Amino acid sequence: MASALDGLRVLEVGELVSAPYATKLLADLGADVVKIEPPAGDRARRRGPFPGGMPHPEKSGLFLYLNTNKRGIVLDLTTPAGHAALERLAERADLLVHNVHPRDMAASGLDYERLSARNPRLVVTSIAPFGLSGPHAGWRGTDVVTWSAGGVAALNGVPGEPDLPPLKTFGDQSGFQAALTAAVGSLGALLARIKRGRGEHVEVSTQECVATILELTFEYWPYTQLVASRLGQKPIQPLCFMECRDGWIFLCAIEEHQWERFVEIMGNPEWAGLELFTNRLARGANFDALQAFLQEWCRDQSVQELYEAAQRRRIPFAPVSTMGDLVASPHLRARGFFVTVDHPVAGTVTMPGAPYKLAATPWLLRRPAPCLGQHTAEVLAEAGLP
Amino acid sequence: MTTDPAPLAGLRVADFTWVWAGPFCTLQLAHLGAEVIRVETATRICVTRLLPPYPRDVAPGPNRSGYFNQYNQGKQSITLDLKRPEAVAVARRLCAASDVVVENFAAGVMDRMGLGYDVLRALRSDIVMISLSGYGATGPDRDKVSYGPAQVPLSGLSSVTGYRGWPPMHVGISYGDPTGGLHGAVAVLAALLHRSRSGEGQYIDLSQWESSMTVLPDAIISWTMNGVAPPRDGNRDADMAPHGVFRAAGDDRWVAIAIEDDAAWARFARCLGQPELAADARFATLVARKRHEDELEDLVAAWTRARSPEETTALLQDAGIAAFTAATNRDVAEDPHLDARGFFVELPHPEVGVRRHIGVPWRMSASDCRVRRAAPCLGADTERVLAEVCRYTDAEIAELRARQILA
Repeated sequence: MASALDGLRVLEVGELVSAPYATKLLADLGADVVKIEPPAGDRARRRGPFPGGMPHPEKSGLFLYLNTNKRGIVLDLTTPAGHAALERLAERADLLVHNVHPRDMAASGLDYERLSARNPRLVVTSIAPFGLSGPHAGWRGTDVVTWSAGGVAALNGVPGEPDLPPLKTFGDQSGFQAALTAAVGSLGALLARIKRGRGEHVEVSTQECVATILELTFEYWPYTQLVASRLGQKPIQPLCFMECRDGWIFLCAIEEHQWERFVEIMGNPEWAGLELFTNRLARGANFDALQAFLQEWCRDQSVQELYEAAQRRRIPFAPVSTMGDLVASPHLRARGFFVTVDHPVAGTVTMPGAPYKLAATPWLLRRPAPCLGQHTAEVLAEAGLP
Repeated sequence: MTTDPAPLAGLRVADFTWVWAGPFCTLQLAHLGAEVIRVETATRICVTRLLPPYPRDVAPGPNRSGYFNQYNQGKQSITLDLKRPEAVAVARRLCAASDVVVENFAAGVMDRMGLGYDVLRALRSDIVMISLSGYGATGPDRDKVSYGPAQVPLSGLSSVTGYRGWPPMHVGISYGDPTGGLHGAVAVLAALLHRSRSGEGQYIDLSQWESSMTVLPDAIISWTMNGVAPPRDGNRDADMAPHGVFRAAGDDRWVAIAIEDDAAWARFARCLGQPELAADARFATLVARKRHEDELEDLVAAWTRARSPEETTALLQDAGIAAFTAATNRDVAEDPHLDARGFFVELPHPEVGVRRHIGVPWRMSASDCRVRRAAPCLGADTERVLAEVCRYTDAEIAELRARQILA
């Protein structure tokens, strides 16, 4: 069966998450992605998880996930020979995606005008923490910094605990958001190229990608001049975590009919009839009292049983899934979500698979992530380079 | 310099989405220049139209929510009461005139309304249709109900996010929604590239649960490789220290700092006015800093507490160190850098006037990508779309209106 992006030639000069995940999205849909690494390799090779916790450049779970379906070559982009090889490869490419820091772009041979002069059809996508223009363009940012700069970190905390700092979310989430946005922009530019015949330069700011997902909180300032705080209680409840006897559950019963059915599940306790809890706003205002009653009841429940009982009544509870719960889920197994990659050095690794199912052009696992420099000779020969 | 048309100029999207995931998907398509037509109904108004924030100086109303007005910029709105078969017939005409159909109802709802993929494909063979549901269109849990906030715990993200020794935490936003919406946009664009070469449309099934898990591979693979999940560890990082969000001078002000390597640590020590810390055996290497991290963080916090987050940020960024204020919504809205980059959009809206909104998070050197109009009032484009897109006569539209099909 055909893949959606068959024949699309993509170059990646990427490290860690943002550029690599952007091109993984394309590679998994059929694009021929060549990943260009420095002689020391992508820094993701030095981040875990590693089997047995033992660092090894070919065994990083993060690297193996982010680089499936790509070929990998090594070029030293600090040298003129590296620049020449990059230019030669770019002449034959449709798209180049990179996340080299703006301060290092020129020295790495990543000059859009120059690459475009050699191949006017080329699309170049640059991902930078604060973008390529503006007073902060040269600033540095890793996830905790860009997640904070975009405003999401300040939204996460515990009401009543002002000494707990704004909390970042697990993993490099700013990197993933920038990657997704870069993929959208890159594919958009490739669609524009069909009519125009020319490529263009797409620029993605990670800070902006994070600011884009502030949900309803951003507009609180322009609309009401209110500052959103991580210390504020939710206005409506229950919408909260509760500890059960065998794990955690997320209670979500914010519509009145959901609350009424949840009260039935709890066996219609007397406290549920208190005026304190008469509607969702009251339950929000009196959450301290509500929480105590709910916690007392939930403590004896099983997560899975409560989840199923609620779902049977169309109440959107969800378990606080552990990694083990996910891997064991019959639903995810039936959908074939997890995939197992066989890698020549790392062995078999089970990882997340398709984020979507395209019926006519399926997401497809074709090859494991490349070993460092595995395809250097092959790719350079294709480009007519020695 | 952007003189060329937008990438999706001339492309039409029939948008049956509501709340956030679906609208976030079609927002990307609108940014790229597609004509996005929201199909709504006054009989069951989109949740985000009914949520705050409403402007302080105007009474609340379905066209006045900042939440809706942020994520539906650049789109049009028509109203159809899809419980009525005549309305479904109108919707079919709209789909037949569209390149892409996007929906995020519960699994199976479009089929039951007579707007499933097989029906739409018979109307237009190369149509691209995507469903963004909580659990996906197949599998034993397909009929389970899902609200945006529940995707964060369901995906596993909550179990690995939190302060050390504290319960699982949320993200602070319904994170599964934008993650699902962006993945959906990627899938639609890839399907359009495929269609441009093959003439073939297709159906796309996106499960928000699955798209949310694709962004925590390190936690999942830690389990599949070693049978352990990463512990909740606040803002710390296994490969960087100091790494966190530290208290600054002022009322609940904080600054994020990440020391990426030993060289950055030496520069940081100079910023602190304690250059000798660079060679201090407790802190000289990452391994040593991780071992003495509590002590290290106390030292950092003693310094950050004495100055505003903006001052700390400027000092550290001058030294090439990653740092930034833990920005509030106000900080983001007043960020001079974002303003200088033209990130914000301020277009006139008939009911809320000119308000600052978040714009397009990418720039293109040739294509004209921008927000073309403020979010639509409910049903504002019904007559025009029915006449120009669906090709109903004025008399037919009046008849549909009189029979309350266009509600």
